[in-house]
Formats: sequence, structure tokens, C-alpha cells
Amino acid sequence: MVSPIYILILSLAVGFLLSILDKGGRKLSLTAFYGVLTFNVAVIADWLYRLVFLHVPALVINTAGFNAPISINLELGITEAFVLLLANLTALLAAVYLLKKFKEGRVSSLILYLVLIMGVNGLVMTQDLFNMFVFLEILSISTFALTTITKTSKTLSAGFKYMIAGGVASTFFLLGVVFVYYFTGSLNLGFLQAGQFTNTGLIALFMLSVAVFIELKPFPANGWALDVYQSVDSGIVSVIAVVNSAAIGFVFYKIMPLLPQNFLTVFGIAGVVTFFFSNMMGLKQENAKRLLGYSSIGQMGLLLAILVFTANVPANIRYLIIGGLFLNHLISKAGLFWLAGIVKQDKIKNWGVLRNNKPLLVLFGLFIFALSGLPPFAGFWAKWEFVKVLVDAKMFFVLTSVLVGSLFELIFLFRWFTSVVKDTDTASEPLVSPGKSKAAPVIVFGLLAVITSFGIIRFFYQFHWIQVLPVLAVLVITLIDFLPSKLKGFLSLATVAGYASYLYPLLESNIQLFFGVIFIIGSAVNLISTLNRKNQSKGFYGFLLMMIFSFGNLLIASTYLEFFLSWEFMTISSFLLILRGQKAQRASLMYMIFSTAGAYLIMVGFSFAPALTSASALIQSIAEVNLPLISIIVLAIGFMIKSGSLGVHIWLPEAHAEAESDVSSFISAILLKAGVFGLLMVAISYVSHAPSFDVFYWIGWIGVLTALVGAFMASFQEDAKRLLAYSSMSQVGYVVAALALITHLGWVTAMYLAFNHMMFKSALFIAIAGIYYRTHTRTMYKMGGLISKMPWTYMTVLMAIIAVSGVPPLSGFGGKWLTYTAFITKGWYLQAGVLFFASGVSFLYLYRLIHTIFLGQLKYEHQNIKEAPVWFIIPQYIFLGGIMAISMFPNLIIKPLNSIAMRYFDSSIQIDGLTIISDLGYWNGNMVMYVTMGLFAVPFILLMLVKGKTQKVKQFNIVYAAERPESPQTTHIAHNMYAHYRKALGRLTLPRIQNFWNGVAEWAHTSGGFFRRVYTGNGQTYVLHIIMYIVVIYVVMGVQ
Amino acid sequence: MIKNIAVLLAVAGLLMIFLPVISGFQERDNLNELAADYVDGSINDLGTPNVVTSVIVTYRGLDTLGEVTVLFLATVGVGLLLKGNREDMIKISPLELLETTSSVLVALIMVLGIYIFTHGHLTPGGGFQGGVVIASGFLLLMLSKVNAKISHSIMNFVESFSGVAYVGIGIAGIVLTIGFLNPGILPLGQFGDLFSAGAIPVIYSLIGLKVGSELTSILVTMRGE
Amino acid sequence: MISMYTLILGIALLVIGFYAMLTRKNLIKIVIGFSIADTGTHIIIVSLGYLRGKTAPIIDGAVNAVNAVQEVVDPIPSALVLTAIVIGLAVTAVMLSFIVEMYKKNKSLSIDDYQELKW
Repeated sequence: MVSPIYILILSLAVGFLLSILDKGGRKLSLTAFYGVLTFNVAVIADWLYRLVFLHVPALVINTAGFNAPISINLELGITEAFVLLLANLTALLAAVYLLKKFKEGRVSSLILYLVLIMGVNGLVMTQDLFNMFVFLEILSISTFALTTITKTSKTLSAGFKYMIAGGVASTFFLLGVVFVYYFTGSLNLGFLQAGQFTNTGLIALFMLSVAVFIELKPFPANGWALDVYQSVDSGIVSVIAVVNSAAIGFVFYKIMPLLPQNFLTVFGIAGVVTFFFSNMMGLKQENAKRLLGYSSIGQMGLLLAILVFTANVPANIRYLIIGGLFLNHLISKAGLFWLAGIVKQDKIKNWGVLRNNKPLLVLFGLFIFALSGLPPFAGFWAKWEFVKVLVDAKMFFVLTSVLVGSLFELIFLFRWFTSVVKDTDTASEPLVSPGKSKAAPVIVFGLLAVITSFGIIRFFYQFHWIQVLPVLAVLVITLIDFLPSKLKGFLSLATVAGYASYLYPLLESNIQLFFGVIFIIGSAVNLISTLNRKNQSKGFYGFLLMMIFSFGNLLIASTYLEFFLSWEFMTISSFLLILRGQKAQRASLMYMIFSTAGAYLIMVGFSFAPALTSASALIQSIAEVNLPLISIIVLAIGFMIKSGSLGVHIWLPEAHAEAESDVSSFISAILLKAGVFGLLMVAISYVSHAPSFDVFYWIGWIGVLTALVGAFMASFQEDAKRLLAYSSMSQVGYVVAALALITHLGWVTAMYLAFNHMMFKSALFIAIAGIYYRTHTRTMYKMGGLISKMPWTYMTVLMAIIAVSGVPPLSGFGGKWLTYTAFITKGWYLQAGVLFFASGVSFLYLYRLIHTIFLGQLKYEHQNIKEAPVWFIIPQYIFLGGIMAISMFPNLIIKPLNSIAMRYFDSSIQIDGLTIISDLGYWNGNMVMYVTMGLFAVPFILLMLVKGKTQKVKQFNIVYAAERPESPQTTHIAHNMYAHYRKALGRLTLPRIQNFWNGVAEWAHTSGGFFRRVYTGNGQTYVLHIIMYIVVIYVVMGVQ
Repeated sequence: MIKNIAVLLAVAGLLMIFLPVISGFQERDNLNELAADYVDGSINDLGTPNVVTSVIVTYRGLDTLGEVTVLFLATVGVGLLLKGNREDMIKISPLELLETTSSVLVALIMVLGIYIFTHGHLTPGGGFQGGVVIASGFLLLMLSKVNAKISHSIMNFVESFSGVAYVGIGIAGIVLTIGFLNPGILPLGQFGDLFSAGAIPVIYSLIGLKVGSELTSILVTMRGE
Repeated sequence: MISMYTLILGIALLVIGFYAMLTRKNLIKIVIGFSIADTGTHIIIVSLGYLRGKTAPIIDGAVNAVNAVQEVVDPIPSALVLTAIVIGLAVTAVMLSFIVEMYKKNKSLSIDDYQELKW
């Protein structure tokens, strides 16, 4: 048990001696140096352990043999120990990272570093205001000097700006301290109370607090800091951004109790403003370290805002929010700064060199994910709880700014991440392999991020292990990633089966079971198509399993948080899967942005929701919950983003098209249904607690229009996968519209359509996957006549499009019958009309799909291709079998769906044997099948009889006669097939929604570009900013 | 133009902040409780006539240790920034008058400096003041004898030695369980004597040495070696 | 009353110092501005410690040890200002060294010539 005062003593003593020790060789001085840094960590860790686990009281250290306030005292409580442990640990690792510099450079830098860390420890522990000033100056001066550890014109000028700015801030701090003394006669925080400051006394507090605040780099008085972040050596910057900021932030935390509420509110809002604008300006940033600077400043702003706005929150939640966010920022920011030093590329777009070093790439991704507030990392939990706090306190301005700011941050971080993973435009010089000393700290922090995440999950939330199964799957698969792809595929299949059998008994109701079939069985069958993968497919199965498990976990989630956690896991895993596509950089980014926006809405929606009253699955217990209108609206929008509803659909075609073929089918057939599942959940609450405003009427319209527009868009595509993507959008539009009816039949219809869509769209996407695998093209006019080469695939596509189009005898017919009956019963005639029209349009694209690919003339280059591999054929025919089954025996599905919907409504249909009777009529699927087959048989037999009279048209007979050889597609029928419709629609086909979102993006970037012009680079202007900022804050606070 | 207006606004804003400070200012008549305790304690507990010294060296000893550290950091920082700049060495030829008088003055200045820091507990002055006086003696030396070599390693040694000794006295306080930096490790002696007030004069002398050597080495570095 | 005047003097110096920092282009003059502001701060500190008609807190001929408490000015600001002065000196020294190096690299003393990092 060593008193932490020895941290100060030892650091100083060794610091004073170091230049003499160095005369005995650098080894000696380095040993002493690292020894002290390690000692610091050990002492604090020991104390933290005592404070937390042995419940010793907070340690108070008096100096000079007198008690406070006579002498200066230090205090070490849990919060101090927590901050200091992280700070000292970061300092130690940063020092390890800097080993080479310390070995080769002057001993001076060792001294400065050691004393800097001592300053940090003193600053956090001291209870005396003037002593704080002294430690603040120790910290500042050593940092100033250390900025020149690499001495260039840039670091010098950045350092100078830093000093001038720091000088102004510390002048105000000093004035604040002495005025505090003048007004109260005390300098010790333990003996100061807010009540002692009135009138002029408030100016003392103002100067004190504003100075600390300036040190924390509020927008726009922070240009100096950005320059430092950009230019100074990565190792030192990590200390400035993390350790120094933590210590100064802690000073703010310590003086907070003295500040009146209006001060705090202004500081809190200034923090939010900083967060928002830093991230907005980050959008325009191309320099990696400067970008990290923007992000760091933003994070500190957020942290300040949280400090202020969580003042009345229960302590454990408050510590989770503050601690989680701080930890998250510390780990990921330091990690990224260190990586910046390893990569040695200024420009973000040159960071692709990281691809040569897989472990570093993984760590990079990990830090980016953590920083973006994604689970399982600490920032996720903090953000979740913070949003809840803001909603409860009705601070909607802050809430909006925080969420939009976070989205900006996510955008630039993921643009960076996708560029690193995908961008081909990388730097010429390869990545120099980092030495052990540089890599080790990064690895340690990566591990720390993971360990702390599991710590929070295990000890704070006490989640069941099933909740983190998605992450465990990734970890396990990573360990066995050396195995051949096929083996991993079979293992995955087995794992999914095991998971399904684990999940089954946990399902409490048919509705879960139904979606379980879509999510898990559907995934398992789809998984078969991935068995065709060659070589190792590194990283694929991990994320695939993660996605499947998170689908399943959605079903059994019993709290809002569990649901949201699984939702986010699903987003992450699907994003990473989409990103695997060859040209998926843009598509995956767009997917991530929209998904995150949706996730934020869902988070807000859940925060508005009243507490759950039962412990059963959310989809069950939500029925008891009276969701307020605002909650319904934001949740619905959030879920509709995932299901690709009109207006927020633009991620959908890109993601479907650019993902790898076997991934596309998962996204379309299953992922979109997760959105439906969410929407259904909202609807279930709505049924029993309908608010005055009929939200679902409008949702219904959105669904209907989605169906129509999706169908039109699908018709105009040249790319088979884009066509299917828009088709999915359209089909899910039907589902959403039917769901929005909020009637028994409507829900039966919605679920029926969803199930049907899952099967035929899987079959279609896998069919196209097979075709793409053979032809290497997705452009339809480059294909043709494949019927003879790929008859099995042709059969699938034929059956599937019959199932889509709703002509008898297949399942689609039942779907259409149910749809129209449901809409008409509800009285939504216009909507039914539009849907009817949309069904007509869908014939256009279905015809295009089958005709251009399979009929017509075989292309020359496809002379020798073969049928799709068997791994593609198997799942297709499993799905076809399913379609056949429910076509022949609709009761197989209608009966369970009827019972599901009956939980919420009175049944509106009767089932009589094989006949389904509604108010408007009846449908006997079995009968339809026989009749249609009969009708089909007659002409078929006739045609067979006249077969001898047909004449085969030779390929070169007519095609070249009408084609221009140099660009044959222009005269090909399949090219721009529906040009005339497009023309007829005229201005309606303009990509308005696309343009709208482009405009939004443009606006955000331009604003970012505009605001960052305040950072002129001139140190004097920065001083002006600071003084103006102080004046403005003074006025806004209304100190006098 | 805009910038000029902004500057004027900023200055006006500063005045706006400070005016209420002036208008609300009242000269105080009595010591507050804390200060009264210090005056009392300095005389009765520490036996130090110079109350400011007891505040600096004892009551707020941690500040002073920090302050010494700041100066030390400045020395190291300046060294890191400027070391090895021979070509910039200032070349001036001193006036004969300066040269002649300085040889007499330097020694006197040094003695004065030592006097000031050893009597810090008795008279106005102390380690910092004494140290600065000593450094000014070295400055005079540098100005008058351009080629005078001032050994960096001696300065370094004095600096390190006094720093470590200072910390050592602090630790001695802990060892004797009377608290870090408590001057009670030495007897109080007779109030007003040179050897009195416990460790205060010792600490202040060490500070004097440290400040003197540090400032001197800043000067040496800035002159260019 | 005297401390009121010194207080005003201190604040005037502080504002003048800041004004210099905001308007002078020469790096060294900016640092001089900082020094002036710093000095202003020190004068403010000392002013705040003054008590009407009292003397320096040193027990010698002028002050009686027995009722010293009634006779001396506040010793704390005096102690603080000493620390503040030393710290100001240290900061100034480092600033000036920066300028020396900056001048060596770019041969310019104008702050307008150090704007390569921005936005």
C-alpha cells in the first residue's frame, strides 16, 4: 500500500536526476523512466482495487503536516483513481510507443514526459485551486516543449499557437483563482461552497471556469488545438488528446459543484455545439490526424455536455455514461493516433496500406467501431443511457444535436474505414512493419476495448451470454479462419442448426416462431449457397453467423436494450458482409449511414417508451405498453429505413447490387424482414393503445407508394441484381401497406407476403448468383438464351416469377387475393387500386428478367458455360419446394397466421377444409392449382403435338442483321427495354429522392467547409477567438 | 478592417468583464480566518518571522515544489529547443568599463544572492529572489566576459542535487510521520536566528541554488554554447 | 484606496497586454504583450491582498509578534504571486525559445507567416 503522493515524489526525484543518470548510459535512464511510469500505474491500480473491492474510504493526503485548508491536500477517491488509472496506463503505453524516440532523442524529452505525467496525477488529485494552477502549468509547459519532439516548422508554429492560447487561458484561470480567494478567503475545494459566490463573486467563478473550458477546446476557440493534433508526433498527440484532456476535464468536473446552474447550462450547450460542429467540419477533412483532432475535440465537447446534463441522474447510470464514453474515447483515440504514427500517411485515402497488415487492419476497424458508438464497445452503452436521460429530461435540442453530430462522426469514420478496406487508390510506398514497441500498445488497447465491453455487459447489465453470442461467433470463427471455406460453411450450418434448437424452446408464441422460420430456417437454406465459396473466404462466416444469431436474438429480446443491441449487431454484421463486395465501398457506406440514422431513431423511440411490465419477449410484452405517439413515429421511421420504404430506400438498391451474390439474398430475403418485424412490433402496441393520430394510415400510404415506385424502378434497371433489389423494395412495400391496415386480414396478408417474398426472393437472388458466377456479368442485355445452358436455374426463375406476379396457381395468387380482400374490407379502395396498378407494373420487370436472361439468342461468349454449381441449385429448389407446398396447401401457412393475428383481432376469415372464406369471397389454393394445371395441360399437349412444325432460328440469322456490331446493346431489345414507359412518365422518373439526399449530403459538407474557415491558421486570430469566446460566454451567461 | 473591429470589440468586452470587478472592489480591513491562522502559525508553530516564507515553503510547500518544477521544465524545454546552436552565439565585445566593474560586481552579487536565500525566513526575500540574483550575476559575467565558459555539467549537477535534496527533505517529513515537506524535521531554534525555523532555511537555500543554476543554464542555452 | 488604484493599473496592463497580443504582428511583441498581461495579473493579485493601512507580514521591528494578526497584510496573495511570477517567467522563456527556432526555420518574425496549418 503505497501512498499516491509517491507518484509525485518519485517522478520529481527521478526527473531531477535523469540528466545525471543519463551520463551512465541511456539504458539506465530509460529503466528509471519506465520504472516510474509503471510504478504510477501499479500504485493507482492498487488503490482503485482497494477503493472498489475493499471499500476503503477515499484517501486524503495532507501535506506539510497540517490539515486542509491550512495546507494543500490531495484526494484519491474512486473517480480520481479511475481517471488516473486510465491516464497512467495510456501514458505508459504511449511511452512504450515512443520508445524509439526516447532511445535516440535527448534525455530532455524523457524528463519532460515524466514530469508531464506527474502533473496529470497532481492535477487530478489536488483539492487546492491554486495548486491546480501550478499543476496545470506543469502540464502545459512540458506539453509545449514536447510538441517539438520532432522539430519542424509545422510543429514549432503549432506549438507556438498552443502556447499563446494556453497563456491566455491560464491568465484567466489565475485571475479566477485569486478572485475566488478574495471573495471567500479559501482556495480549497473542500471548503468552498456555491453559496459563497454572489454578484461580483460570480465573476471569479466565471473566469475560473471559462479558463478551464477554453483549455478543453470549445468550438470555435480551438484552432490551436487542431494544429497541434495535426502536426505533432503521434505518440505525444495521443497523450495530449487523451491524458491531458482527461486531467483538464477532471478539473472541470471538480469545480462543477461550485458553478451556478446558468453557467452549467451554457457550458453544456457549448459542449454540444462543439460536438456538433467539430463533427460537421470533420466531414470535409482529408488529413487523418487532423480528422482525429476534430473527433477528439468533439468527444471532449460531448463529455462536457454529459457531465453537465447528467447531474441529476442516478450515480451508477451517470458513471456508466461518463466512464463509458471517456473510456471509449480514450482507447479508440489513442489507438487511432498510434496507428496514424505507424501508417505514416497524412491523407486518409492513402491508408489502404493497412490492408497489408491484417492484425492492424482489424485493430483499426475495432477502434473505428468503438468510436462510432457501436456495440459491444463502451460508447454504445453510454450513448444508449444518455439518450434515455435526454429524453426523460425533455432536452430535445441537445438530443437532436448529439444524434446528428454522432451521425456526422460516423459518416467520416466509416468513409475512412470503407476507404481503407476497399480503396484501390492507395499510396505507392508499402506499410513499414511497425516494431514491437509500436505495435504492442495498439494491441493492448484493442484488447482493453474488448475486455471492458464484456465487463460492462457481464457486470453492469448482467446479460445472458446469448446476447453476446453474435460477437462470440466472430471471435470463434476468427480463431478457426485458417480452415477451408467449405468446412467452415458446414460448421456454420451445423452451428445454425444448434442455435435453432436452442432458440426453439425459448420462443413463447407463434409470431416468434413464424419470424424464427423466416430468420433462421431461411438463413440456413440460404447458407447452403455459400458452400460454393472457394478458398478461405476469410472473415465471411464469422460475420454471417453474427448476422444470423442477431436475427434470432431479436426474437427473444426481452428488453428494449436487448432488442436494440441485437439490432445493432445485425447492422454491423450486415454492413461488413456488404462491404465484402468488390465495388461495395460506396454502397456499404450508404447502408451504414442510413442504418445508423434508423438506429438512432429506434433508440429515441425506445427511450420514449414506458417501462416494460413483464419479462417475456419484447414482441409479446410490447402489447401491454402504451407507446406515445412520438415514439410510434420515430420507431416506425427507424424500422422502415431498414425495410427500404420510399424516401429512405436509396441505400437498398446499392447495397443489394454491390454485395457479393450470396450475400444479396440474405439482405433482401431476410434482413428486410427484420424491419418488418420491428414495424409489426410497433403495430402490436398500436393495436391496443391507438393514439388519436392515425399514424398507420400514412404508413399504409408509404407502403403503397413504395410498392408502386419500386416496381417502376425495377422495370428500368439493366442490372439483374438492381432489378431484384427494387423488386424487393416494392414487395416489402406491399407487406408494410398490409401491415398498416391494422386488421386481422391485413396482418395475415402481411405475414403471408413476407413469407412468400422470403422464399421466392431467396430463390431468385441465388439463381442470379449462379448466373453471375458463370457469366461474370449482372447486366442483363449482355446475356440471353441461357435457357439451354442453365435449365435448372431457368426453372427456378420461372417458378419464382410466377410466385411474385400473383398469377395462379402459385402462392403469389393467394397473396394477391388476400391483399385485395384485406384492402377492400378495410375500405382503402384507392390504395387497393394503386397496388393493383403496381402489380401490373411488376409484370414488366418480371418479364424483362426472364426474357432477357433466358430467352432470345445465346451470346457468343456464353457458348460453353455450364449450369450453375449444385450449391446454388440446392437452396433454390428447397425454396421452390416451399413455394409449391404453400401453393398447394395454403392452410399450412394460413392457419398459423390466422391464429397469430387472432391474438390481436377477431378473425375475419373462416377455414373450411382447403377453402379460405372471407367476407368477400373464398379461395381454395388446392383447387386453383388443379384448375390451372388442367388449363395448362391442354395447350401444352397441343403444342407437343405440333412440335414437328416448329423451325429453329439460327443465331446469326437475324441478330446481326439488326445489331450494330460496335455497340450491339443499343439495338438489343433488352437494352433500355421500357424506354417508352420512361418517356411517358416524363419528369416523374427524375431521381428526386436521390437528389434530395445528395443535396443533404452536399449541404452538410458545404456547411462543414464553411465553418472550418474560422480556422485561418493565424495564431493571433486564434487568440482573438478565445477572447471573443470568453466575452460571448460572459454575455450569454449574464454573469452580471 | 473587420478584424480591427473585432479586436476593439474583444477589448471592449474585456473591459466590460473587469469593470464590475473594479466597481465592486472594497479594500479589506482585516485578515480572513485562513490568513490569520497563517500569521499566527508562522510565529508560533514554525518560528518564522517572514510569514510569506512560511506560506511558501511550508503551508503551500506543494505549490512551491511545483513552482520549482515549472522552472526546471522551462530549463529542460529551452534546452531541448535550443541546444547545439553554436553558430548563433552572440558576439559582442563588452565595454572596458563593464569588463572592469563586473569582475568586482559579480562576486558581490553572488554573495548578495546567497545572503538573500539564506535569510529568506527572516527578511523579505528567499530562494527565488536569491536564485535570480545569482543568475543575474552569471548574466553579467556572460555579458562582460564573452568567452567565459560556464560549465553545463556543474549547473546540471547543482540543479539535480538541490532538486533531489529538496524532495528528500520532503520525504524525511513522511518518514518522521509529520507530513510531506514539514520543516519540523529540524529543531525550531531561537525565533529570529539564522539557524531557526526548522528546515525552512535549508529548503529555501536549496531552492535558491536550484533557481540560480536553472536560470543560469537557461541563459547559457539561450546564449548558445 | 491605494489598492483600488493598483487594481485599476493591473487591469489596465492586462487589457493593454491582450491588445498587444491581438494587434502586433511581430512574434516577440506578442510575447511582450503576454508578459505585460501577466504582469497586470500579478499586480491584480497583490492588490487583492492589501489591507487598509497594514504592513508587510514580516515580524521585525515594525510588527509586534503578539498582535501581528492585526498589523499585517494578507500573506497569501504575496505567496501566490511569487509562484505566478516564476511560472510566467518559465512560460515566457519557452515562448521565446520557440520564436528563436521558428525564426531559424522560416526567417520570419511575423505571425502571418505561420499559417500553413489550417482548416
